[in-house]
This record gives sequence, structure tokens and C-alpha cells, in this order.
Amino acid sequence: MTRSTSLALTAGAVGTGLLLAACGGGGPAAGGGALTDDKVVLGVLNDQSGIYKDLSGPNSKVAVEMAIEDYTKKYADKAVAKTIEIVTADHQNKPDIANTKAQEMYDRQKADIILDVPTSSAALAVAGVAKAKKKLHINITAGSTALTGAQCNKYTFHYAYDTWMLAHGTGATITKAGGKKWNLVYPDYAFGQDMQKSFTEEVTKAGGTIGQSIPTPFPNDNFATYITKAAADDPDVIGSMHAGGDLINFVKQFNQSGLKGKTQLAVGLLFITDIHSLGVDQFEGTQFTDSWYWNFDEQNRAFADRFTAKTQTRPTFAHAANYSAAMNYLESVQATGTDDADKIVADLEGKKINDVFLRNGEIRKEDHNVIHDAYLNEVKSKDEVTEEWDLQKVIKTIPAAEAFKPADGSCTM
Amino acid sequence: MSTDELTRAQHVDLPAEPVRFAERPLVRAAMLLVGLVVVVALPWLIYPPVAMDILAWGLFAISVDLLLGFTGLLSFGHAAFWGASAYATGLVAIHSGLPFPLAVIAGVVVAMLLAVPTGYLAVRRAGIYFAMVTLAFAQMLYFVANQWRSVTGGEDGLQGIQKSFFGLTSIETDPFYFYYAAAPIVLIGVAIAWRVVHSPFGRVLVAVRDNPARARALGYDVDRYKVMAFVISAGVAGLAGGVFAASHGFASLQELSWTTSGKVVLITVLGGIGTFWGGPIGAGVVVLLEDRMASSGFNGVGIVTGTIFIVIVLLFRHGIWGTARDLIARAAAARRRRR
Amino acid sequence: MGALIQYTLQGLAAGGFYALAALGLAVIFGVLGVVNFSHGACYMLGAVGTALLLNELGIGFWAALVIIPVVMFAFGVFIERALVHWLVGLDPLYNFLLTFGLTLVLVDLVKRRYGVSGMPYEPPALLAGRIEVAGVSLSTYQVFAATFSLVVCVLVWLAITRTRVGMIVRAATEDAERTRALGINVGRWVTPVFGFGIALAGLAGVLAAPFRAVTADMGSNFIIILFAVVVIGGLGSIMGAVVAGFLVGLVEAYGQAYVPALSQVLIFVLMAAVILVRPAGLFGREDTA
Repeated sequence: MTRSTSLALTAGAVGTGLLLAACGGGGPAAGGGALTDDKVVLGVLNDQSGIYKDLSGPNSKVAVEMAIEDYTKKYADKAVAKTIEIVTADHQNKPDIANTKAQEMYDRQKADIILDVPTSSAALAVAGVAKAKKKLHINITAGSTALTGAQCNKYTFHYAYDTWMLAHGTGATITKAGGKKWNLVYPDYAFGQDMQKSFTEEVTKAGGTIGQSIPTPFPNDNFATYITKAAADDPDVIGSMHAGGDLINFVKQFNQSGLKGKTQLAVGLLFITDIHSLGVDQFEGTQFTDSWYWNFDEQNRAFADRFTAKTQTRPTFAHAANYSAAMNYLESVQATGTDDADKIVADLEGKKINDVFLRNGEIRKEDHNVIHDAYLNEVKSKDEVTEEWDLQKVIKTIPAAEAFKPADGSCTM
Repeated sequence: MSTDELTRAQHVDLPAEPVRFAERPLVRAAMLLVGLVVVVALPWLIYPPVAMDILAWGLFAISVDLLLGFTGLLSFGHAAFWGASAYATGLVAIHSGLPFPLAVIAGVVVAMLLAVPTGYLAVRRAGIYFAMVTLAFAQMLYFVANQWRSVTGGEDGLQGIQKSFFGLTSIETDPFYFYYAAAPIVLIGVAIAWRVVHSPFGRVLVAVRDNPARARALGYDVDRYKVMAFVISAGVAGLAGGVFAASHGFASLQELSWTTSGKVVLITVLGGIGTFWGGPIGAGVVVLLEDRMASSGFNGVGIVTGTIFIVIVLLFRHGIWGTARDLIARAAAARRRRR
Repeated sequence: MGALIQYTLQGLAAGGFYALAALGLAVIFGVLGVVNFSHGACYMLGAVGTALLLNELGIGFWAALVIIPVVMFAFGVFIERALVHWLVGLDPLYNFLLTFGLTLVLVDLVKRRYGVSGMPYEPPALLAGRIEVAGVSLSTYQVFAATFSLVVCVLVWLAITRTRVGMIVRAATEDAERTRALGINVGRWVTPVFGFGIALAGLAGVLAAPFRAVTADMGSNFIIILFAVVVIGGLGSIMGAVVAGFLVGLVEAYGQAYVPALSQVLIFVLMAAVILVRPAGLFGREDTA
């Protein structure tokens, strides 16, 4: 090889290096100030391309933007946080990606708080990162009770719902209404196991019995065999603890199994996006617990209309909760005059809040569980539906104190 | 095409000699130096955890190339060794608090132990069958890890892997300094792989790749060589996986998934099968590309990766480094003719 | 006993999808030597197409059973001409990787356009109920799926064994060189055969649409199982693909019913066992490896 060629190669390598430097982000980590980096950075980490894309997804950023709008309008010149940024990332429902993205958000993008994070395994990963980095995480879209139990930590809050709330709302109600004999079918991973445990407790406490508890592989698309097994001993209720694509498969196949109408189907976790995906017919009459519904009252509808103007779709509970969490975080920044995590935590603990999402809400000090009113819903029948996303109706409001599990000491911070 | 024809088919059209990129040792030394400079400078240019990922995936790709480019065996289940080592490293780190290099060594040992029976069984078949067997074994390991929740954490993954390093807190907490502690380990892995390729043992592997029947006729126990190559490759993959787990502080089922196996094959092909250095180059491209796309919110990672892959396989079969090497060799030959 | 019959039916219904798709995969491999990684994506496209026909154009299931395979045949011809045929003479590794890249592109395209939540699809009214057979209540749809798949497989089998084209396909599968030496233009059948294989994958997708969630990812796990099926049956064997397809469906169903913890591993254990003990598969010819 000639000298010119080797020179060219070296130049190429150096050039590439400079290009990479422009892309950047390297160098050792640096320290911060009173409003760290003189700005407040809100991180929204969720599933932007997978099964929970419609549940929270890119529209959660819109919800947080709405909160920033409202905060800025409310405090104008007196606002402590004059520069507020939002950073988003897609964790694809994978705990390893969530782990990496959370670290990046806190370190590389200077996020002061991370919101959202669906999928329990991803949520637990982010909670761990929040603890290590000593920065805030308000989890909105995951369900694991471990977030306020064995895996709780000082910097993590659980905002919207958890498996206990679902089990208590759905399980206890259906059992008390006469569905005594239950068989559970659950996906064999953290969330499913959590649901199975919670539902077993609640149904038994309400006077019912759990016959079979059938684990299914996760993910799975063929439930026919499991449904046959579950129906074999003639239960009153078959409880499906599945979520997302699994749930859609399960319900589809359940309805085809001839059990519809004979055996009641209880769904542990049902999102409005699932009903929309599969259609009201497949879910007709199903009862489930939800933490928020856009068409419930005037306040919710006002928020929903504002949201629809920006996104052309109705908000889910996740969007409303993201709005509420961001708003309350900013209020806390305003009250303490800083975005220092420890001071914000102290401010938030014990706070009682009433806003569009949290009705009779309270941020519990012992385990950072944010309790609020929950609702028992029923899926509407086709003729009751008034518009594309008007798919459920609230039958009962479950007061905050009843809706969530009392702190049981499993959380030590 | 019959299965006979399949196993007899001329393998990935590669030269018998590991084609040197450049003939003169001075030039080769210069290029090696450039490479080292890049490795040392990387965390200044790129977010350090991403730089670490490039090194880890680069080593992983080298391990696949060792098997594919130099022994002629496509493993579509190499994630089994990367992932098994990731979990083993994590478990040792969490339960014993040993410095992470020692935990990584534990991971390498586990990966190689797993490779011995797997290799013995897999090498009895060749070509696409070998790929299928490795895929099957990787899937089995995936499901075992999923079920063995008490040890692996199942869906949640193994969290909280500390980067313990003799109490030096800067290395243990700042990914920038961690890089400089972990990079030498990766380089050792590269050196081992390089040594294997450029050795009499490596020459036998190439002979096995090109014509197993002839190699056998010459008296070499082909199956034994294949298993040895397989185990060494698994060890190198394990080294990469262990470092990866330590860097992320996390090991998950994704590390054992067939999509990870697919990704590393993609990286190897992109860089250039049989070129050895193609792996790190391919890793750089893929990791940076994915990082860029993720930050920009672009919603079509698969489209871009898949298209690049299709284009490479169709038009630049020898990958980035292989094509560059071909061009330079052709230029050199033209120059020689003119003289 | 009733439960056992239901499990068996479920196994045969699921096996039907596997058999149909595996048949396509085996035919493609037999004639072209291509291990088509995108077969799962084509299955997904068949299902997505079926849902689209209904949701966008109001065209129902029965018409889809005919339309989709034709569309997928054309798609298969396009892929073969545009991409696959350039690499057919080389090591099958290259086409394996090419079709892997193609899968990534196809899945992502569908995700971008239609999201990931899945498209709604109702089974046709005629198949939505139950029928009583010997005192056991069975899903009409499952009976239909199992029977239809079996019938199509038998028809394809007959076509391959009784027609001239079929003979050419079989000859090319066994020894392309010699077939060509006999003066038969094997090359001209390569593209249609590839298209046919893809059409079968699409047909499996149509059958699956009423029964499974129609999502962009539905083919990802499917292809891995399909590999297991084709290896168990014998990579070049057409009969093997069909028998193994139904067999794997049954193993899956019984596994889920009786040993749920192992159900997913069983198929791969079976696959590895077959490769090691009888590498040509249950029905393949003996080969030296």
C-alpha cells in the first residue's frame, strides 16, 4: 500500500471521529446547580411503537405539554421553572431498554423526573435506576404492587393503579354479586403472577373460591387449550389476567369457545384501547375497574375536548394521569423553589390533591402510593355507544380509602 | 436443491488465505494504531454506555465470525452464550460482590461449559441444519431462563448488577471511567480471537470450512476441531456478554432471544464475514444507527436496518470491510500490472 | 374424554396453519434451496390483508380465502424476481439472511401503517358457533380450519404427485442438475413455485385471522415454530412438512394441557432430537452431512 493510501485511511478515521464527536454526548459526567442546569426537564419514557402505543405512547408527551402550558399560564412571571423541556424515549416494553433509556435520560438529557413507563418489568428497572441516580420517577402505567411494596424506594411514586386495586374492584365486586366459583388464567410473568395473587386474595376475602389457577406462557396467541381446561369444572367465573395482545387473543378465543353467555368472563386488566381494538361486541357487558374515564363528568370531558383538539383522539387514563403528575410535580417545584429531588419528595409526601385525574387523592408517605377514587365500569353495548371512544360506562365509584391496599409495612425506604 | 447439494455447496465465497488488508507490516501496524486510538477516544466522542455497547457487540460479532467466516458454521443461537454469560456475570457480581472482571470470567466459564455439550451435538450436522440446532438450543435456554424465575428474575430480568472494582468509586459509578476499566478486557478477547485465527489451529479451521472431506482425508478430526472452535467462540461471546451485563447493570431475557442472535449475525455480515475486523465496524454502524434513530423518535428502525441488510447481502456480500479490502486489493493489483 | 377430544381438535386446527405454511416453506426450499425467513411475515400479511379486506372494502372471509392467496402469489413472484433470484446459486446462507432482512422491513412497514394494537376481525357467521360431534361440543371454526387445511394439503399433494408440473417440482427437489440434463427447463418453474409457497403462507394467514389477534408481530414466533416443523418433517420433504405441521400442533396442544411449564420447550426438544437422530427428518431422504 502506498503512503497516500495509508494517509487517506488515517484521515478517514480521524474524520469519522470528528463526525462522531459532533453527534456527541461523550465525556465524564458533570455536577449541577439549584435548578439543576437552570431548567426543569421532564422525561416521558413509554412504549411508542408497541402494544401500549395507543394507551400512553406519543400522546403522553402532549398531555405533559398541556400541563406545562397550564403551569406557565398560572404562574407567568413568578414561575420558578422558566425553562421547561420534555424528553421522550421508547422502551419497547423491554426492561433492558428501559434501564438504558432511564440512565440516559437522567445522565445525558438531564431529566429531573421520569414519567409513565408501562410494563411492570420495565417499571421496576426504572425504579431501580431512579434510586441509584437519586432522581424522581412517577410511574403511571404499570401495575405491579412491588413498586410500593418490596421494591419501593424514596424516589419512586406509583400514581394511577395497581393490581390490588384491580383485584379488589373487579374481583370483590363480582364475587359479592354472586360469582362465587372462580378459575383464573394468568400469564406466567411478574404482572400476571401479581394479578393472580391479588385476585386470589380478594375473591377469597369476599366469600368466593378459586378452583384452578392456570398459568399460560407469555406471550402467547393460542389459548384454546387453556380455556377448555378452565371451563372443565364448570366455574361461575373465568378470570383472565392477560393484557394487550394476549388479552385480545384470549377474549376472541373465549367467545368462540361457546362459553360466552354461560360462564362469566372477568377481565383483570382492561384498557379502553383494548375495547377499541377488539370491538364492543366482543367485550359486551364485561365489568372491570378503571382509574379514570374521559366521559365521566364535566371536568373530565373538558380535559378530553382540549386533548382531542390536539390529538384527534380521546384521552386514556394514562394521558390524564401524565397530565396530573406533571402538573403536581411542577407545583412542587414552584412551592419548594428548586428541582432538588429530596426536597420535592418531602413536599409531595402526604399531600392531598383534587384535580382532573386524582379525586380525593393522597400521596401516601409510607409507600409513595398515590391513592384516589377508582371506578367500576361496564363495557357498553353497541347501541349505547355515542362516539368512537365512548365505549364504557361507570357503574360505581370506589372511594380512595377503599380502592387501594392499606400500607402493610412491606415497603421500607 | 437437494439436501446433498446443500451441504456440498461452496460456502460463503471466501478466500482460503485470510487476506491481509495490506502487505507491509508497517502499514498494518499503523492501522492497528488508528484502531487503538479510536477505542481510547471513543467515550469522549460518544455517550460512554453506547461506546461500551459498540465494544461489546463488536467482540460478539468477532466470535460469530470466528465460527462463520473461519470455520464455515452459521450459529443462529449464539445469544445463548452471550446471554448465559450475562446472567452468570450478574449473579456472581450480585451474590459475591467480586470485582466485575472476575464476575465476567465466571460468565466466560459458564458460556464455555454450555458450549461443550451443545457443540458436540450440533457439529454432527452441517450447513443449515447446524444453524437450526443452535437455534433450537438457544430457544430451550430462553425458556429455561424464563421458567427459572427465582434465579434469573424471569420477565423482570436480573437487576442491580453492581460494577464493583476494588472500591474505586469513579469507575463504579461513572460509565465514562468504567469504559476504561472494561475496554482492556474486551481487547484481551479480541487478541485471543486474533491469535486463534492466525495460528496453525486457525488454518485447519479454514481448511475445514472449505472442504471438510479433504481435511478429514488429511487426517484431521474435523468434528473435534469444530467443537473446539465452537467452544472458543462461545467463550469470546461470553466475554462480550459479561461485559455488556456489567456495563448495563442488568441482564434480561432479551440477551437470550433469537432476535439477539439475528442481530449479531446481521452485524457480522454487515461488517464482512471472514474479515475479522468487520465485526467491530458493523457493530459501530448498527449501534450508532439504532441510537440515533431511537433519540430522533424515528419510528421505523426495522425498515432501515432491514433495508441496509438486504442491500448489503445483495450488493456488498463481503460487507463493509470486505468490500473495502476488495477495492484496495484490486487497486493494488492494477498498480502492480501497470509497473 | 371430551376434554381430550377438544385438545386434539385444537391441536389439529393450530396444526393446520403450521402444515399449510410449512408446505409452502418446504416447496420453496425443495426447488430453490432457499430457507425463506420471511414466511412468517407472509403469513402475517395474509392475515392483515384479510382484516383489511373486511374493514376497508367490506369483503368477507370466504372471498378472502380466494383473493389473498392470489395476491400473495403475485407478491411472492415479485420478491423472487426482485430479490431472491440473484442469490439462488450461492450458499443458502445468503438468501436466509436476505429474507431475514426482508422480514424486518415488512413487519415494520405494517407497524408504521397499522400500529401494533391489532386489527379487529370477526369469524364469519357460518363458522361462529358450535357443533355437536359424538356428544362433544366443538368449535365449528376449529373443525373447519383443521379440515380445510387438510383438504388443501391433500390437493397440493395430489398436484405434486399426479401432474407434470408436480413431477418437475419433485425431480428438481431431488436433483436439479439431472433434471435439467434431461432437457427440462427447471428455471422457468422456479418463480411460480416460490410464488405458490408464499401463497400458501398467506392462506394460512387468512385461516388464522378470525382465530388469532391480527398484529404485525404475529409472524415472529410463527416462523421459529415453522422452522421446527420443517426440520422435523424433513427440509425437502413435502409430505413431511404436512405431517410434522399437524404433529407439532398436537404436541403444542397436549403440552399446554398436560405439562404447561414445558409446552414451549417440547417442540424444540423434539426438533433437536430429530436433527440428531434422524437428520433428514421423519420423511426426508437419508443424507450425509
